[in-house]
Amino acid sequence: MRKYWQIFKISFQEEFAYRLNFILWRVRNVFQILLTFFLWSTVFVNPNTVIFGYDRAKILSYVFGVMIVRALVFSSRAVDVSTDIAQGDLSNYLLKPVSYFKYWWTRDVSSKALNLVFAAVEFMVLYFILKPPFFFQKDIYMLITFLLSVIIAMFLYFFILFVVSAVPFWAPELGWGSQFLMLIVVVEGLSGSLFPTNVLPTNLQSLVLATPFPYLVYFPVQVYLGNVTGLDLVKGIFIGIFWTFALMFFMNWIWQKGLKVYESIGR
Amino acid sequence: MKKYFKIWWMMSRNSFSMVLTQKFTLSIFLVGKILRFLFFFGFLYFLLLGTKNLAGYNSTQAIFFFLTFNVVDVISQFLFREVYRFRPMIVNGDFDFVLVKPMSALFRVLMGGADVIDFLTIPPLVIVTIYISTLMNPTFQNTIYYILLILNGLIIATAFHIIILSFAIITTEIDHSVMIYRDLTSLGRLPVDIYKQPLQGFLTYFIPVGIMMTLPVRAIIGLATPSGIFLAFVVGAVAIFISLRFWKFALRKYSSASS
Repeated sequence: MRKYWQIFKISFQEEFAYRLNFILWRVRNVFQILLTFFLWSTVFVNPNTVIFGYDRAKILSYVFGVMIVRALVFSSRAVDVSTDIAQGDLSNYLLKPVSYFKYWWTRDVSSKALNLVFAAVEFMVLYFILKPPFFFQKDIYMLITFLLSVIIAMFLYFFILFVVSAVPFWAPELGWGSQFLMLIVVVEGLSGSLFPTNVLPTNLQSLVLATPFPYLVYFPVQVYLGNVTGLDLVKGIFIGIFWTFALMFFMNWIWQKGLKVYESIGR
Repeated sequence: MKKYFKIWWMMSRNSFSMVLTQKFTLSIFLVGKILRFLFFFGFLYFLLLGTKNLAGYNSTQAIFFFLTFNVVDVISQFLFREVYRFRPMIVNGDFDFVLVKPMSALFRVLMGGADVIDFLTIPPLVIVTIYISTLMNPTFQNTIYYILLILNGLIIATAFHIIILSFAIITTEIDHSVMIYRDLTSLGRLPVDIYKQPLQGFLTYFIPVGIMMTLPVRAIIGLATPSGIFLAFVVGAVAIFISLRFWKFALRKYSSASS
């Protein structure tokens, strides 16, 4: 446990070594929030408007909720794993007495902690500048369930990332391409970061909700807003857990296969 | 001019040949770009089904804003993809080899690697844009304004890419500046009318996303004033003038490090 604590501390300090990179990454997140905030603000310019089951307070709370959940779920250092495989750097870790998965999970947690601090500051600054009618969840039961759904989302993203990062075992040149397609396009598009999934027609919604992606952002934020309750809430949590375990087993299987064909190219 | 077109053609052919050797990678990026477009388009479509209008624009007009943004964005990415590859040249000092050649160094680093993936997406995008524009029954004069303002938008995009290259020489940093430029311009996926002041003013005058992407659509709808159109061309000319001056300034700061 102590060695992972050291990894956590070193990784945390490393983020400060590239301060400009980190700050600019946060600035980019703010721009994305601004687009969705002003879009919804325009749609709900009349305070009495209710569309897709949202009123002005709930949709703008959704946008602000996305900011926090994104920081917790999508902040990750494990995006470098595919480069490790493609360039043969994975060999360095395989020789060390550390679990490669735990190593990256620790680094991810360190990155999430730092990003959460910055997201909270951005949240406060934007809250005071834009003055949105924010919905504060007071039900302790819903807040605990929200926390649980965020933890599920963090594991879910970690396993998706490791499955996608395994592609260079077979095709080293596809590392960035597979990440672009899955993480930047599919995950961003279907997770609820860009728009809430229930904007879609019912049949398309059911299709998207059967995939793991909405349980990364959309579902946790819906739980916070109190839009998912009772049986739907239990069902959502179980689907999230199901996908987490399914992806964990798939990740272990694909990595075992990958390590057998790994040739440490470049070492 | 003819010489530079010949050089561009040669460089683009080389760039295309390189990408076409990795057909699977090419298809992954192509699918990714198409999906990204479809996700936002689908979202906008379903949103407009519910709201019927956006900031006073009807559904067709709102979708046309998104398509026009894509036209300017995709064409500038197709032309200026080489900008994304400039940093290693500066860090390794390989930019020396560009400077000694009997051609404009700016032309080489700005347009030396046209992007085949973006090239493939341009024809369908233009066809859809033309189709949607016909649904708005624009006048001939407004259509001409639209085309001229799109060209003006591309000139402003050129100016910004030159400024990014210049910053790269001075700071050796390019990745974030180009991505921030893209994030800012992506705010033009929707009319800048939706943003509140001072952001709207910033997007109109400082990073003139409004002039690049919103004004052409306002012109085709017939909402742009002649003075607004004139001002847009002045902004385009000033932007390109400032960027070229900045490029010359940056060149004097080039240290040829690591060469």
